[in-house]
Amino acid sequence: MKNWKMVFVVFLLVLSQVLAACAPAATPTEAAAPEATEAPPEPTAVPSPTTPPEPVDVVLWAQATVTEAGAPPDDWIAYDIIREELNINLTYVIVPTGADGEAKVNAVAAANDLPDLFQMVSANNDNRGALLRLVELGLIAPVEDLMPLMPERVKLHYNDPLAIDLVTFDGHQYGFPEPPPLPKREGFVIRKDWLDKLSLEAPATPEEILAVAKAFTEQDPDGNGKNDTYGVGGFLNGPGLGTRFDFIMGAYGVPGQWNFADPANFGLNVRSDQYPEALAYFKSLVDAKVIDPDWPTLTRDDFRARWKQGLYGIMWEDFAALTNKSNYEPFDTNFPDGEWIPLPAPKGPNGDAYYGVYTGRGQIFAISQKAADDGKAEAIASLLEWMATDGYYLLGFGEEGKNFIIDANGNISTEGLDPVEAYTAPERQPFTQMRNQLVFYNSEQEIVARYPTYETINGRTMEPMNFLGFFQEQPWVDGRGIQVILPPANAADFDRFYNEGLLQFVLGQKELTEESWAEYLAGLDAIGAADYEASAKQALIDAGLLK
Amino acid sequence: MLHSKTRDAVIFQIGLAIFLTLILLIILVPFWRVIVTAFIPLDIYTREGVPFFLSPTKWSFEAFKQLLGHSQFPRAIWNSVIITLLGTAISLFLTVPLAYGLSTRNLPGRKLIMTLILFTYLFSPGLIPVYLLITGMKLTNNYLAIILPPAVSVYNTLVMMSFFEGLPEDLKEAARLDGANELQVLWNVILPLSKPILLTIGLFYAVFFWNEFFTPLLYLNDSNLLPLPVLLRNILISASFNEYVEYNAFSSSSLESLKAAGVLITMIPMILIYPWIQRYFTKGTLVGGVKE
Repeated sequence: MKNWKMVFVVFLLVLSQVLAACAPAATPTEAAAPEATEAPPEPTAVPSPTTPPEPVDVVLWAQATVTEAGAPPDDWIAYDIIREELNINLTYVIVPTGADGEAKVNAVAAANDLPDLFQMVSANNDNRGALLRLVELGLIAPVEDLMPLMPERVKLHYNDPLAIDLVTFDGHQYGFPEPPPLPKREGFVIRKDWLDKLSLEAPATPEEILAVAKAFTEQDPDGNGKNDTYGVGGFLNGPGLGTRFDFIMGAYGVPGQWNFADPANFGLNVRSDQYPEALAYFKSLVDAKVIDPDWPTLTRDDFRARWKQGLYGIMWEDFAALTNKSNYEPFDTNFPDGEWIPLPAPKGPNGDAYYGVYTGRGQIFAISQKAADDGKAEAIASLLEWMATDGYYLLGFGEEGKNFIIDANGNISTEGLDPVEAYTAPERQPFTQMRNQLVFYNSEQEIVARYPTYETINGRTMEPMNFLGFFQEQPWVDGRGIQVILPPANAADFDRFYNEGLLQFVLGQKELTEESWAEYLAGLDAIGAADYEASAKQALIDAGLLK
Repeated sequence: MLHSKTRDAVIFQIGLAIFLTLILLIILVPFWRVIVTAFIPLDIYTREGVPFFLSPTKWSFEAFKQLLGHSQFPRAIWNSVIITLLGTAISLFLTVPLAYGLSTRNLPGRKLIMTLILFTYLFSPGLIPVYLLITGMKLTNNYLAIILPPAVSVYNTLVMMSFFEGLPEDLKEAARLDGANELQVLWNVILPLSKPILLTIGLFYAVFFWNEFFTPLLYLNDSNLLPLPVLLRNILISASFNEYVEYNAFSSSSLESLKAAGVLITMIPMILIYPWIQRYFTKGTLVGGVKE
C-alpha cells in the first residue's frame, strides 16, 4: 500500500507516453479524406471585388527571400496598410525550404490545418506534384473564378497559359503559378584572358572545346608556373550527367533526361543514337584529364570556390553566381585581369546545338479549401492584386524616398539615401521577404535593380544583364512538360541504375561499346523504362503538351 | 620464455598505441579541419582552398563576427538557452520519479508498465499524431511544443532506472524504517547519491534540447522564437543561395567558413559543460553510505 503514490505517478507518466504514441493516429486520415478525388469541390462563389465589410484574418505561408533575416516585425507598416485598405489582418509565416518545409506543410495538411494562402514546398522542386497531392485530398480550393478579381496580377504574373494549364486538374485551376525566377539564366562561359594568353580562338564545336580545354590544362594559362588548372569545371546536379553539361550533350541533340527537342520521338534521351556518341565525347574529356577529376563528387559550393580560385577555364554557370558583384569580387581580387565571356551553344557533328533545357519551374501558391469555406477567397484575391499594384513597391523595395528612389531613367536606386535605410541594407531585408515569392515578376526595372552594372578592380565594366541577355537568346529546349511527368513507382532503383550506368561509361569503369550500351538499355527496360516513358508521354498528351 | 612474454607485451602495447593513435587521428583530423576552415580568411580560401595548417597569424574571425554579430543571434541564443534549461529541468523532473518507481522491484504491475514504456520506445507515434496532439493542446508557438513530446526519454529512463537499481536496498529500507515515505526516500536518500546519473542524463537532455532543430521549425511559426540551430541553418541557406538575391551579407567570409564557425559555435557550450560534469562522473558517491 505504501507504494500507491509511486504507482500512481508512474501510471500517469506511462499513460501520457502511450497516449502520445497511439491516440490521434486516425484523425488526420479522416480529416484529409480524399473526398475531392472523384468530385472536385465546386468553385468558390465569387462576390463582387470589394473590401470585405468585416475584418478578415488571412494566414500566409511563404518562403523567405533572405532566409536568415527573419520575418517583418509586428509593427510593419504594410500590415497597417493592408488592414486599412483591404480590411485584412495578415499573418505572415516564413516556411522553411526543402524537406523541412515539405514536412511542415504535409503535417498541417494531414491535420486539415493548412493556412489560408500558402506556397507549395517540395524537397525535389516538384511544386506541381505537391499541389496535385493536396488537390487529390480535397484540401485545395479551385481559384479560376478569382482570376478576374485581380486583373493586374493576372497580366503581370499569371500570363503564361501553359503555367495555368499545369495547375489545372479536372477542369479547375487550383493554384497561382508565379513566374519562374529569371528563366534561362545559366550559360556556357570561358576565360577570355586565358584564350588571349594562349592565342586561341573561342571554341565552337565539341572538338574545339576539347582542344582548348587541353591547352588550358597543359599550357599554364595563368602563367603561375604551376600545373594547377583544368580546362573544364563542373559538378553533378541532376539525373544522368546533370544539367551542367547540357551544352555538351546539346551539341549531340540530347540535352537533359527527356527528348523534348524532338516531340515526335519523345522518350528518354538515352534512346537516341547520338547519346552514346555524346558519352564517348564526354569520356574523351575525362580521359584527356582536362576536366576537374572531382566533378562527380563536387558540391556546388566547392565548384564555385574553385572557379574563384582560378582552377577552371570553361564552365557552365548561373549568370548571377558568376557576375553579381558580391559573387564576382573574390575572383576579381585574385585575378584582376581575369575575364569570363559567354559563348554560344557549341555545334555538334550533326549540326545540333542546344544550350540546355528550360523547365520553367516557378513557385505555386494555393488557397486552402478551409479558407474558401470560411469565405476568405475574395479577400485573398484582393490581397494578391494589391501586391501587384498599390503594394508592389512597398513589398518589393520598401517606402519610396526612404528605402529607395526611382531615378530619372526609371530605375530603382538608393542614391542619396541613408545606407541603413536603403532597401539593400541587411537591416531592411525582413521588410521585403515576400518579394521573390509573391511580388517580383521579372520586370526590367526589377532586374536592373537587382543586378546593377559595376566596375571591376582594373576598371572594366561588368554588366550582369549582358550575360543574362546572351544566355536567354541561346537555343534552349522547351522542357516545361517535365513538370507533369511523375516519377515511376521504383524511382529510387530506376534513378540509381540510370545515373550510375551513365557515370560508369564516362568514367571508364565500364567500356562503352555497342554491346555494353545495348545491355544498359536492356537493363533500363528491365526496371520499367519503357513503362515510364509511356506514362510520361501519356501525361504530356493529357496535359496538351505533346500532340 | 619470460623474455618472449615481455617482448610480446611490448609489441602488443605498441600495436595498441598505434591503433589508438589512429583512432585519435580519425577523430581529430576532421575536427582540426573544421577549426582551420572556420578561421581561414576569405582571400586564402578563394586562392588556395582549405590548407591543412594555417598560421595563427593569418587566422580570421570574420565568420564568427558575421554569425555572432547577426541581428537575430542574441535572440536565437536566448531562445536556445530557455529551451535547453526548461527542457532539461522538466525532463529530469519527469524522468527521475519514473525511473525510481520502475527501479522498485516490488512495484505492482512493474512488468506491464515496463512493456508499455518499451512499446513507445520501439514504435514511434509518427509526426502527424504528435502534431495533432500539439495543435490540439494549443501549444503552437510555445516552447512547450518543443519540450513536452520528448520530455521523457525511454532510453534515459532505463539508464537511470539501472543506476537506481544498483543503489543498496539497505539505504532505502533504513529510511523507510525511520518513517520516510517513498517521495522522502527519493528526495532525501536517493537523489543525494545520484549526482553522477543526474548530471549524465541531464547532459544528454541538454545536448538534445540544445541541438533541437526540426520541432522548432514545425511548431514555432513566430520567427522571434526560433532557436540557434534554426538561425544557423537559415544563415547558411541564405549564403548558399545568394545568387538569387541582390543582397549579400556574407561577402567577407566564405560559405565553408560560415558552416564551420556555425559548427563550433553550437559545440562550444557543450564542450565547456562536459569537462565540468565529468568531474562528478568519477566521484565515489557511495563511500561510507552503508556500514555493515
